[in-house]
Amino acid sequence: MRNDILRTCRVVHGWLGIVTGLFLFIAFYAGAVTIFWPALDRWALPPSAGLVTPLEQAAELIEQANEQRPESRRDFTVHLGADTEIPARMTWRLSRGNRELVAASLDADGHLHLSSLTPTALGRFIDHVHRTGGLPVGEELGTAIMGGVSLLYAVALISGLVIFLPSLTRDLFALRIGPSAKLLWRDIHNLTGMVSLPFHLVIALTAVVFCLHDEIYDALDRVVYRGTLRAVFQAENPFGSVPRDSAPAAMLSPAEILARLKDKAPGFQPNALQYRNAGTKGASVTVWGGDERYLMRMRERGFVVMSAVTGEIANTEYLPGFQGGYGRAVSAFFALHAGNFGGPAVKWGYFVLGLGGAFLFYSGNLLWIENRRRRDKDGGKGGMPSRSVRGMAIATTGVCLGSMIGVSLSIAASKWLHVHAGQPAIWQNGIFYAALFVALGWSFLRGPARARAELLWVSAAVTIAIPLTSFLAWVVPSLGLWVWQESIGVDAAALAGAVIFAALARRSARRVRSVSAAPSPGAMTRADCPD
Amino acid sequence: MKAGGAASWWARISAGLLLGFPLGLALAGLFVQLAPDGPGKFQLAMWLVTPPWVAALASVFLVRDGVRAWLWLGGSTAAAYAALFLCRHFAG
Repeated sequence: MRNDILRTCRVVHGWLGIVTGLFLFIAFYAGAVTIFWPALDRWALPPSAGLVTPLEQAAELIEQANEQRPESRRDFTVHLGADTEIPARMTWRLSRGNRELVAASLDADGHLHLSSLTPTALGRFIDHVHRTGGLPVGEELGTAIMGGVSLLYAVALISGLVIFLPSLTRDLFALRIGPSAKLLWRDIHNLTGMVSLPFHLVIALTAVVFCLHDEIYDALDRVVYRGTLRAVFQAENPFGSVPRDSAPAAMLSPAEILARLKDKAPGFQPNALQYRNAGTKGASVTVWGGDERYLMRMRERGFVVMSAVTGEIANTEYLPGFQGGYGRAVSAFFALHAGNFGGPAVKWGYFVLGLGGAFLFYSGNLLWIENRRRRDKDGGKGGMPSRSVRGMAIATTGVCLGSMIGVSLSIAASKWLHVHAGQPAIWQNGIFYAALFVALGWSFLRGPARARAELLWVSAAVTIAIPLTSFLAWVVPSLGLWVWQESIGVDAAALAGAVIFAALARRSARRVRSVSAAPSPGAMTRADCPD
Repeated sequence: MKAGGAASWWARISAGLLLGFPLGLALAGLFVQLAPDGPGKFQLAMWLVTPPWVAALASVFLVRDGVRAWLWLGGSTAAAYAALFLCRHFAG
């Protein structure tokens, strides 16, 4: 029976891995990059002509904007400057669902000055790739499919653990660096998987929920809440915690609001004040900000809702350190998925774990291919790898390297597109999927082994284009590009990435040369496999 | 594809997928019934649906065949709903 289970788990792990591996590779690679979403957006952010009004004048700015532009009263935001993604003091949306913002400032004479501002869409786009696993479909469908993929991924993790447990103590730190490269790859796959198992279990379980939470809420409403969930939802809506009252009333200044909050939560670092129904007795202000000491729900953000008229605190259910037990538990799930706690060290840790995850799936695919290739060789089919093995080898090289090229290319292109095409957001999709499909086609035409080396060179080239763009912006100002000191980390990380890709490309090319017994284009060679 | 053939594999997987979800809902329902009220409770309840679902989906590979997977999970799911209805009944 024990051996039965082991054999079953081996089959399950192999199949689930090969079905989900490529989606998960893209989700993990893009997910690792989204850890630094704010820095990416800053990197791509064009310099704005508008002045940023000093914070001391914010109250005056609000008063003038609300008076001259009554439509701003419904919902506007005062940025405190800690949040560098939006270079303006006060903004509101041009219309509901529109990304474009109106930015307000006061000129030297104290007159209201308005300009339009489109926040960069780069981080959001990489996040879209992360959520949909690179599937070229809409976000809703892609996310739902990834919900299913995440379920299978969770089962693949558990079955992988079951397979490895019996030899855990013997093999965990064994790296058999010898003639059998396959054994070495398996050891690396096992070690990576075991060391990061808690991370992967957390990611798998939370990903299922993030992908399917609408569906789960619907089912829960029917089965458990018997149709009352919407009412519960509304009763707990934090943004409804200041009762509406359209009677006009004077609001406290941002400085007063922040002083009240400081008394209550001294560790909280506010970065934006979002006002709703300004100028009425029911005006509310949502103070967004973070506190690294706690597990936070959104990207480094929690929030507190206050009355903008009395300064009374109306809802602390999302304020780090002031949540109830249930809210704290749910925030922990969010934070553990995205690394929203503990500051930069945790972020870099998540970045490494995310890339390590992508590598886990890549190495898993290579192991599957190698196992199959050996079986075909010994199976008396004339020693030729079967079509599924060749297809998987082509797909693994094409999808993995294609998505890496696509991510780097969308980042590097964002500044150039802003200068030459105006709206980078429209182009991002096209660039990413073009890179993905061209890489797949290339892998098919050239054979996965040679394509791997060549596509790695392309990865290195498009990744170094990121710091090169910043460098050009600095030395050739006439190009109309720009460079921010605040996002120098993006350039440094891309430079390091490019060096690593180039080193891998050299290794791959060397291996192709050493193994190539004149392979016909597209044929499967020994070099297609991990050894 | 040993251990029962392809049919057994589909029987196992369908048991895990189709019974694991309602099992998770029932267990989340028990949480809603039994845990004290508080803000954010419905959100935590939603989060509690998935772990039993994943556990069920993994457990179908630990039993000998698809029929046993359906019986075990079917029994657990029925028991969880029975408990939920009993709780509701006595809670009024």
